[in-house]
Amino acid sequence: MLKTWKLKEIVLMSLFGVVFGIVYLLAVHLGNIWAAAIGPIAYEWMFGIWFIVSIISMHIIRKPGAAVLPETLAAIIEVMLGNAAGPRLILSGVIQGLGAEAAFALTGYKRFNLAIFMLAGAGSAVFSFVYGYFVSGYAALDPSFVALMFTLRVLSGMIIAGIGGKYLADSLLATGSLRGYAIARAKKGDAGA
Amino acid sequence: MHEDLFLLQNASFRFPEDAKNTLNGVSFSVRQGEKLVISGPSGSGKSTLLYLLNRLYPANCDGIVGGEIRLFGKQADEYMPGEINHRVATVFQDPDSQFCMPTVEEELAFTLENLHIPRIAMEGRIAEVLELTGLSALRHSIIQSLSSGMKQRVATACALAMKPEVLLLDEPLSHLDPFTAQQFIIWLDGLQKKAGLTVIAVEHRLDLWDAFFDRELSMGRSGRITADELFQPKNPVLFPERVSAVESSTALAVDQVSVEIKNKKLLSSLSFEAKRGEVLVIAGPNGSGKSTLLKALCGIYKRSSGTIQSSGIGYVPQSPEFLFLAQTVEKELAFSGTSSPSEVAELLDRLALVQLKDAHPFSVSHGQKRRVAIGAMLADNHPVLLMDEPTSGQDSAALQELFALIHERVQEGLTFLIVTHDMEFAAAVADSVLLIKDGKMTGKFSASEVWGDEQLLASHQLLPPKGADRYAGSFA
Amino acid sequence: MQDLLHEMNPSIKFVLVTGSMLTLAFFFDPWTPAIFWLAIVLMQLFLSRVNWKLWCLMMLPFTLGSFGYLWTTLVFGADDTSEILWTFAGISVTEEQWKHALSLSFRVMALSTLSLLFALTTDPVKFVMSLMQQLKLPPKLAYSVMVSYQFLPVLKDEFIQIQQAQRLRGVLVEKHWWQRLLNLRRLLLPMLAGAVRKAERAAFAMEARGFTGAARTEFFRPVTVTRTDLFMAILFSSVLVGSCAAGIVLSN
Repeated sequence: MLKTWKLKEIVLMSLFGVVFGIVYLLAVHLGNIWAAAIGPIAYEWMFGIWFIVSIISMHIIRKPGAAVLPETLAAIIEVMLGNAAGPRLILSGVIQGLGAEAAFALTGYKRFNLAIFMLAGAGSAVFSFVYGYFVSGYAALDPSFVALMFTLRVLSGMIIAGIGGKYLADSLLATGSLRGYAIARAKKGDAGA
Repeated sequence: MHEDLFLLQNASFRFPEDAKNTLNGVSFSVRQGEKLVISGPSGSGKSTLLYLLNRLYPANCDGIVGGEIRLFGKQADEYMPGEINHRVATVFQDPDSQFCMPTVEEELAFTLENLHIPRIAMEGRIAEVLELTGLSALRHSIIQSLSSGMKQRVATACALAMKPEVLLLDEPLSHLDPFTAQQFIIWLDGLQKKAGLTVIAVEHRLDLWDAFFDRELSMGRSGRITADELFQPKNPVLFPERVSAVESSTALAVDQVSVEIKNKKLLSSLSFEAKRGEVLVIAGPNGSGKSTLLKALCGIYKRSSGTIQSSGIGYVPQSPEFLFLAQTVEKELAFSGTSSPSEVAELLDRLALVQLKDAHPFSVSHGQKRRVAIGAMLADNHPVLLMDEPTSGQDSAALQELFALIHERVQEGLTFLIVTHDMEFAAAVADSVLLIKDGKMTGKFSASEVWGDEQLLASHQLLPPKGADRYAGSFA
Repeated sequence: MQDLLHEMNPSIKFVLVTGSMLTLAFFFDPWTPAIFWLAIVLMQLFLSRVNWKLWCLMMLPFTLGSFGYLWTTLVFGADDTSEILWTFAGISVTEEQWKHALSLSFRVMALSTLSLLFALTTDPVKFVMSLMQQLKLPPKLAYSVMVSYQFLPVLKDEFIQIQQAQRLRGVLVEKHWWQRLLNLRRLLLPMLAGAVRKAERAAFAMEARGFTGAARTEFFRPVTVTRTDLFMAILFSSVLVGSCAAGIVLSN
């Protein structure tokens, strides 16, 4: 799979991982220690932030693996940054990435529109929830509560990751800095048609 | 009898996104031991040409190559990925983005591992190249903690570790200040004489190189070679002479300003004034507190004591895009809502931005970004403008544009405080010079008294501007 | 002795930590995670040189999180038919629910301690080098991660500069953090645009030095697997099996 990838594309994906790592470290995480006390549901609605790298990368690069690789790289980088959640992030990163990847694979990597991105965000949410169900023992919780958590996470995946990711990648395209990447060529193709 | 290392015949190149070729009908050959520089304005395709020689292109951009390119007697496209890079090494322009390992030793080892050098031989190769480059003391240093100049030397050492036949230099000085750049060239010259390398460089600031090269290839805007001749040492960029626009009223009064961050004294007790229409250049060694001063003046850093009086201070960072918040140039100027639509329209007109008003502020050229940033600051009512290192990495056309921009604005009564290492540029624009060292102000001097004082400049790691007499004279 | 956890091969440590974590997921009694948690704290105490002040600081959010789990599981626990232990404010807690709640809370503590053990005793660079050498992470990925990691100080600095510059333009620091989330888009754009440029430069620099992504034949500094790792693997497994066995015995 890696054969078809240019090195600059892989470096780009991992750099995006660093950028979001920093943003998370400096902008989002700090104020939120107290949310932990509210319990597992406190984080559900912002889970989409974790999936956004997949959407942005796939939107820009459009190759098989462009959803699962950046999540994996971002998770390894999080561990390097000394994230206290440590090695379990890598496993959850891979699983989340696979969720988004599944959505793109379903369409044969041919369509890249808002609906697919939202589906991919939902895919990440579903995969990560199944994994969380197992590791965090949601089985011990009341089914209706679990259903609420699940709904929140899927919505967050669709809105924050799906819509937010597309918005960011489109804004980036508008800045003219994505010359030479699949997203820029696709847009040119549209204009020509 | 010399063999041609590289031979290009009627070579052309086009990016798949573009309709027009970036390179057209390029023919030349390079022989062993030559020191060749490729010059030309930005956009002339000189970097593209260099990337065809180390095979980064066409693969990295799916570019379309025409004509013939022979490297070491073999067709370029017959090389396997990475194969040519054992014989052709490259040093790039950005000192911050050339390294993937933490220490100098590990970075060198990364290079040797790429070449599949046996482990027992690595130790010797590393020691040898560190010895050759005089970097032995830095062997275990963390690369990110080194200065830009040292990083470029480490990058060169990594290139030489491969024992290449040809060394390519892609604007290696553009992120170095002139003082550091001059030292780098002296160092490189010694190295070249010891190692007998063939050197091909892309460069836009030729004046710094003195007589390093022996041949110059000039590229024109259409991607063609316009001249291929013996290299002649160049004079620095010549700026038009300007008449000072300093008025009598004070625009900025700084009194006893100190900055202390986390118990570290960064600036101690600075006092000076700047008049309306004055261009004040702030200079001094790296880490002396120049950027801190700008940030303290515009309020990014809190000052721990002192007062600043002004009618409004704006700030243009080295990367103007850091300021940008809106989707179009026009909205960028209107962002704060301080200026009325008609005032914004007038500003667009004054700064020659009318044609660009619907463009995305990120997508315009660097010089245009700076104009947008200045426009935004003026729209926010900041008639005193601070500019951080606007000359860094700029070619002569961009410097001329910057010169004109500043010159026009001061006629309108604006005041500029400019941090720069480029003394030729400073000599052309400055009315006065503020020298800083170790967080202390050496003094505010009138421009004419500084340029002649080589000792004063050297003690602040600055080179006197070439043709200093002219400037000293014109202010006398 | 106190160097053992630091000297361990990072990949082996990674596999052991991840394996323990997945194993714990099968246990819903309070004893297993509680005993395992204690054992991991003891291991850290005797086999590492951890800065305990930092450890406590980093454990704080997890400890709070563990309380969050406790009350969530109590209030929103799955219904069952076991004996009701107590009732408070209309919420009755059964014996099963209480056990599950304790189990999940201890699990959070055990997993967090395990993660901190890894985070505080592992050198990040050695970790990636080991992933490549022991777990066959492709060099293209491993060195992309390495080069991005080198950009960390530059990007952090840029982030702060952009924030400062934008504040100067009148972008306020929002009170509510969902507003901050929305404002992030403005900060992200210059960061991402810069990342695109840097990625190309870094990739070119690597390729110009002969990097193709092909497997390496030899390493200058091989990350090794030693007898220490065998010992630690046995120790880890014994602790894990021991806690599971003790948990099963004690809960019956």
